[in-house]
Amino acid sequence: MAINTEKLAHLLQEFVTVTADVQGAALVTPDGLPLASSLPGPMDEERVSAMSAAMLSLGERICKELARGIIDRIFVDGNEGYGILTSCGEDAVLLVLANRAAKQGVLMLEIKRALESIKPMLA
Amino acid sequence: MALHPHEFMSKMVDRVCLTDADRNMLSSNATWGLQIAPEMADFFYAYMGRDAEMNAILHATEGRIHRLHETFIKWFHEMFVGIDNWGNNYADCRWHIGLIHVRIGIGPQHVVPAMATVIREVGNRCKQDQKSEELREALSKICMIDLAFIEQAYIEVSSNAVLQETGWTEGLFRRLITTGANAL
Repeated sequence: MAINTEKLAHLLQEFVTVTADVQGAALVTPDGLPLASSLPGPMDEERVSAMSAAMLSLGERICKELARGIIDRIFVDGNEGYGILTSCGEDAVLLVLANRAAKQGVLMLEIKRALESIKPMLA
Repeated sequence: MALHPHEFMSKMVDRVCLTDADRNMLSSNATWGLQIAPEMADFFYAYMGRDAEMNAILHATEGRIHRLHETFIKWFHEMFVGIDNWGNNYADCRWHIGLIHVRIGIGPQHVVPAMATVIREVGNRCKQDQKSEELREALSKICMIDLAFIEQAYIEVSSNAVLQETGWTEGLFRRLITTGANAL
């Protein structure tokens, strides 16, 4: 079944719009190519995609090397907000950007739900 | 980012237009090549040795400079004889030399200008020994191919090390280089 990129883009757009304190999201391939995104204005989709894939891949490598098992997510905690990278099966990486006001528990739960919706679309 | 030496050789032969005439010119002057090789090795290592960092590398272990000197003579002569008519064995040999350069720490930034010195000196010897311009041209071409192997070895080894340590795919690595370069 072909991947419906329009539907993916719509799903991400909706996720960003309805989830409190989420500022952007992107779905990228492990090779760093964008699949769909809804990012804040000045962000370069190509660059964000490459960096996201690089970071998750490096995280997986660190987990393996340091005997930490299978990676669940990478959490970037900056003074302006959060960046969460989560593996979305073998074929994609989900990046979510949120501001400092975001409640981390809620955010993780929302990401988990978003992943449940995205994964079947990539299968 | 596995480089295939045979394909790379073939690509470089096409790129620099190494012709049968060039091959004939080189092989018919192989004796002369061997004769001038020690002198060229002197020029090469004298140039390299002027750089303090390179000089330290060249003398890092006992006897290294002597071995390198001998290797240079062999390498220089092989450019004239072509090993197997500048075929797969030649390519494997040049790739191996490239990898040794990486291992020792002699980078393209050192080898390229040093090689330019050798080419210049070969040109002088050509005139002195009344050799043709075609010979100098043929030698320049094969030298370019050999240098390409050395440069490529550096890129390959560096890239492979990054890929191995990060788990990145080749595609992702290339993309990072592109996006990074665009941002410079």
